[in-house]
Amino acid sequence: MNDQRPVNIIMVEDDEGHARLIEKNIRRAGINNGICHFTDGGKALDYLFNHPEGPSKNGPALILLDLNLPDMSGTDILARVKSDEHLKRTPVVVLTTTDDKLEIERCYDLGANVYITKPVNYESFADAIRQLGLFLSVIQVPDVDI
Amino acid sequence: MPRTSLRLDERRFNRLALIALTIGFGALVIAMIAAVRVFDTNTRSTERVRHTYEVVDQISLLELQLERAETGRRGFLLSGSQYRLELYGVNTLLAPRTLAKLEMMVADNPAQVARARQLRTETERQLLEVDQSMDKAMSGDVAGAVRDFTNNSESTNIRRIRGITSKMRETEYELLRHRSAIEQNALKRMQAVLLMTGLLLLAVGAAAFFVVRRYTTDLAGARNRLNILNTDLEGVVAERTADLQRANAEIQRFAYIVSHDLRSPLVNILGFTAELEETNKSLVSLIERAEKDAPQIITDDTRHAREDLPEAIGFIRASTQKMDRLINAILRLSREGRRTLTPEKLQMEKVLGGIVASLEHRLVETGTTVTIEKPIPDTVSDRVAMEQIFSNLIENAVKYLQPGRPGEVILRGRKEDDRIVYEVADNGRGIDPRDHERIFDLFRRSGTQDQPGEGIGLAHVRALAYRLGGFIDVKSELGQGATFLVSLPVTYADEGVGN
Repeated sequence: MNDQRPVNIIMVEDDEGHARLIEKNIRRAGINNGICHFTDGGKALDYLFNHPEGPSKNGPALILLDLNLPDMSGTDILARVKSDEHLKRTPVVVLTTTDDKLEIERCYDLGANVYITKPVNYESFADAIRQLGLFLSVIQVPDVDI
Repeated sequence: MPRTSLRLDERRFNRLALIALTIGFGALVIAMIAAVRVFDTNTRSTERVRHTYEVVDQISLLELQLERAETGRRGFLLSGSQYRLELYGVNTLLAPRTLAKLEMMVADNPAQVARARQLRTETERQLLEVDQSMDKAMSGDVAGAVRDFTNNSESTNIRRIRGITSKMRETEYELLRHRSAIEQNALKRMQAVLLMTGLLLLAVGAAAFFVVRRYTTDLAGARNRLNILNTDLEGVVAERTADLQRANAEIQRFAYIVSHDLRSPLVNILGFTAELEETNKSLVSLIERAEKDAPQIITDDTRHAREDLPEAIGFIRASTQKMDRLINAILRLSREGRRTLTPEKLQMEKVLGGIVASLEHRLVETGTTVTIEKPIPDTVSDRVAMEQIFSNLIENAVKYLQPGRPGEVILRGRKEDDRIVYEVADNGRGIDPRDHERIFDLFRRSGTQDQPGEGIGLAHVRALAYRLGGFIDVKSELGQGATFLVSLPVTYADEGVGN
């Protein structure tokens, strides 16, 4: 990971169960970075853009984004992040149940870095998250310009 | 409804036209009769006038002849000239004939007949007297004859004759005047009738003209409306199609959202079941260790829990996985419904041959033979959809065999007007007629549930057949094999939907 500052993992996921399973499997992959969990889009956006601890004001981050949120679509958050001067280089991993071809294309068009469909089969799910963890352990995340 | 009012108008128009026509013909007939009668009256009145003048002529002629006879006698008595004698002879001969003719002419009028009789008496007396005096003169007694002539009252005789003839003349004129007056009246009436019928004809003509004009205007209006409707029809169809598309899209979207939202909790159920299983392993090993080291702390309940927990977890997992498969099936159907169809020329022998080849392994395994009856009609349709329909049907035929009977599947097709009916006939275990409808419903199956499957295939096949503009039917008896009939248009016509 980044040598200077630990990368914060920001997880936007409305399903508590999914969030717990994702966190468990990321930890199993040996990732110990801090994970901030938000269950709705509004709070997540507020943290991303305005919170003093948030990536916009403080340090590099990686966003795990679910598309089906109660208050807004995940693609709105994606669009906001990718069009922001400070946050546009922050990697966004879309992790959702939607496997609609058009939706996937749209997310990549908006600048998503990775799109993962949550497998219903738990073995595959756990496997995918663990692989994501391994991936997170090797990628370089750019520092956010403040 | 414009159509009904149009038909009503037409009926009313026909009735009116018929009435007008009848009135018109009636008026024409009346006019014709009147004209004939006018003509007839005219002819008769001319005839009468002529007759009257003839009678008057005849009277005058008689007078003239009598006068001449008289003049002849007088001349002869005075001069004894031969010419006078001839004049007398001719006129005394002619006068009775003229009288006879006159009598014939006035025979229809009793008053004139009476006068004519009087006239005859006077004429005969006059002629007799003239004859006697001429006879006397011829025999030499001219002086005696002159004396007789002077004494006789022959002048009064002639005067009486004149009186009668002038009366007769007057009577004829009077009669003519009277008849002319009556005929004039009749003529006037006829003229009035002619005028009336003429006016009536004019009125009927005008009315007919207005009715026809109104009707044609109505007709033109109806035609215009029809034109507008016709041109509008496409718009209406497009509108309805758009509505249907919207409704269809709504259903697809609903299916899509529902299946996605159902998947989310499934991830949790499966995930935490796996976590539980993991945790259970450590618990089981703990119990095993305890059983070995301190058996007194293990109760029967603990022992049961060790077996019950994996069993419960197994059921949860199996059910959830089944649910996942069902949700996936709905998703697949919803996706299939949104796929764009691309019709192309399909050589069915090749298409079916390809499907059979892909099932080769299963055919050998089960000892089933698949025969394609040639020739089999080709079609223009969507290749993927057709392949899915027939691979599902053939797979089913190979799957549901009658135990102890080697499978035989026959594929054939025939053209029926503008449709093609393809058949997939097998000698398998057959389908209870009660289930013939059910098997095409999603998640419904028939017969012994000894084969894997979710009851999706035939629902999928039916949905595809509908989309291709066709339908599917089954003929079967339990244990007697089954024949699936797929009826499709020869050429797939686009649904008219801008996919």
